[in-house]
Amino acid sequence: MSTPALVALVAIALVGIASAVIGSVGVRVARSTSDFLVASRTVGTVSNAGAISGEYLSAASFLGIAGLILREGADALWYPIAFAAGYLALVLFVAAPLRRSGAYTVPDFAEARLSSPALRRACTTCVLVIGWLYLLPQLQGAGLALTTLTTLPAWSGVAAAGVIVVLTVIGGGMRSITFVQAFQYWLKFTALAVPAVVVLGFFLSDARTFDRAAPPNFTADTTVQVRTPVVLEVAERVRLQVDGEVNGRPAHGRVTWEPGRYEVAADTSLGFVIGSAVPTVVGAPATDRAWLEPMSGSAPHQLLEIYSILVAGFLGTMGMPHVLVRFYTNPDGRAARRTTVVVLAMIGSFYMLVTFMGALSRLYTPQLLVSGQTDAAVLLVPTAVLGDGWAGWLLGGLVAAGAAAAFLATSSGLVVSLAGVVFTDLLRGRLRDFRLAALVSAIVPLPLALSVTRLDFALTVPLVFAVAASTFCPLLVLGIWWRGLTASGALAGVLVGGGLSGLAVCLTLFATVPSGWVGVLLHRPAALTVPAAFLTMVVVSMLTRAQIPPGVDGTLLRLHAPERLGLSHDRLDPQA
Amino acid sequence: MSTTGERSTGTVYEQVQASPEFADLRRRLRRFVFPMSVAFLAWYLAYVLLASYAPGFMAIKVLGNINIGLIIGLLQFVSTFAITTIYVRYANKHLDPAAEKIRQQIEGAE
Repeated sequence: MSTPALVALVAIALVGIASAVIGSVGVRVARSTSDFLVASRTVGTVSNAGAISGEYLSAASFLGIAGLILREGADALWYPIAFAAGYLALVLFVAAPLRRSGAYTVPDFAEARLSSPALRRACTTCVLVIGWLYLLPQLQGAGLALTTLTTLPAWSGVAAAGVIVVLTVIGGGMRSITFVQAFQYWLKFTALAVPAVVVLGFFLSDARTFDRAAPPNFTADTTVQVRTPVVLEVAERVRLQVDGEVNGRPAHGRVTWEPGRYEVAADTSLGFVIGSAVPTVVGAPATDRAWLEPMSGSAPHQLLEIYSILVAGFLGTMGMPHVLVRFYTNPDGRAARRTTVVVLAMIGSFYMLVTFMGALSRLYTPQLLVSGQTDAAVLLVPTAVLGDGWAGWLLGGLVAAGAAAAFLATSSGLVVSLAGVVFTDLLRGRLRDFRLAALVSAIVPLPLALSVTRLDFALTVPLVFAVAASTFCPLLVLGIWWRGLTASGALAGVLVGGGLSGLAVCLTLFATVPSGWVGVLLHRPAALTVPAAFLTMVVVSMLTRAQIPPGVDGTLLRLHAPERLGLSHDRLDPQA
Repeated sequence: MSTTGERSTGTVYEQVQASPEFADLRRRLRRFVFPMSVAFLAWYLAYVLLASYAPGFMAIKVLGNINIGLIIGLLQFVSTFAITTIYVRYANKHLDPAAEKIRQQIEGAE
């Protein structure tokens, strides 16, 4: 194994060890079930904000956003904007009332508000589906990081991430996880900020600019191994060395590609010389100038796609189980508000750094545009800029550590919140069972992560958010703000939204999706499924008006009266 | 708070629910949350609409590589943060004192 690969492995191992150590320190203070699930609601503002941000900024944010910026340019800004705005929607509409309801999972909330066992079961199923689906890209991201940085196979990264997550969660539950995740946030931030400053130094002393009506150029002789079939768009004549299959025919030796489209089969190698123009994956902006401008790519139905991503991010965040449960770790609403401001500052500055790294990666790692592995951009920029040497290797190691922190933080948060649901709804037992629940929650998605072909974060993450936006968003928003919601209406809405978005997920993961607007809606279902779920919920509730729970006014009062009134009670505490 | 259990009776709920102070508190919350959401969504969707129907405007260069589209994009982060800060200020200044007043009334009545 080469030196940079070893440095990266050591860095990743150190993150695992540091997380385990911080986690085990937390164990000594974790005594009760409440400690395990919601950290006894006694976490300080800055640690809690660090933990919330650490958990929210997943591998998809750390690796995926920069990859998107590299490929799509200005259009990729939608993703971080939607994810930051989703947090705002959560805070304005849901956070405080939910904190007051005393429930700490959506199934708990559904039962407290509408007391229907069937709805509770449907919600439990949704939490599990959303959590496991979101664990999938996290685990596969670990695999991607490991294959990119070392020569190890992807499955070893998936398996290692699974094991570390189980160990930290079983070790100390939510309370220790809070400190681990706060640590992981600062690590992620450093792992981006340091390379960003270094690369910026190189960029400023570099004569190159993005303001050209031409594609990016290779900065060195580069051989690209195409691993999955890809259609490339050539904007400027390029000479290259091919070995494999192009446009359905075997191709070997030196060829010249005129501007046009080329279908490259898997396992083809393409060799480019320094200075030649970089072909880009079809649909993405081909020239640097187009890349700087919004909506300039050639992909069809862009407006529909963007609206769908915005809806999914804006409304889906509030339905993510690991995000919601975090609001119970605040001692009261006032602290929750203070935490929120710190969190948005942390998330916002992180996304700006990622965007910046993505932009610079277009200059330094353009070969990723050819192979389609743009998600690896952040990992490869340090060595591409600093060259082979200890400076580049160490910086690469730091970024690898940040990536490891990213998928560990989100995965462990997901596993804790999933385990909370498995524990209260499926196992119903003592502390021992919580550990078993954590184990079950982490193991279920592993086979899927190992068997399904890895898709871009840009595809999988908005899909999961779309499922959350089509099920829990209408349930929470209508449940908190509309007294007319009935159990039948809520159940019908969750089933329609969950069914439609679930179907889209299955087709995207396991089948070939047709092109045109049908394909766009299958990849990005939120624009259709969210309104469908809201509409179903409202219409069915109005048809079953007789079912409105008799105590609805008392319940709504408890949700909207500030906790200083002393009307709310926590479901977990013994006196409740 | 040890009196929590005793308080959770129908009479206190009804009393608070009916009080003009509670209505005022809910009005203050709504008066902030809904206009703010509408303003934010409008600003958010304006970006998408400008990008699709006024690409020429978005492509105007301001400084070096930076065009208007990128500036508006980055401003979206700033506005998200600004709205949250304003919300927290508003809640501390207008919502908490109102809640405090209701609480004192309940305690005075007991």
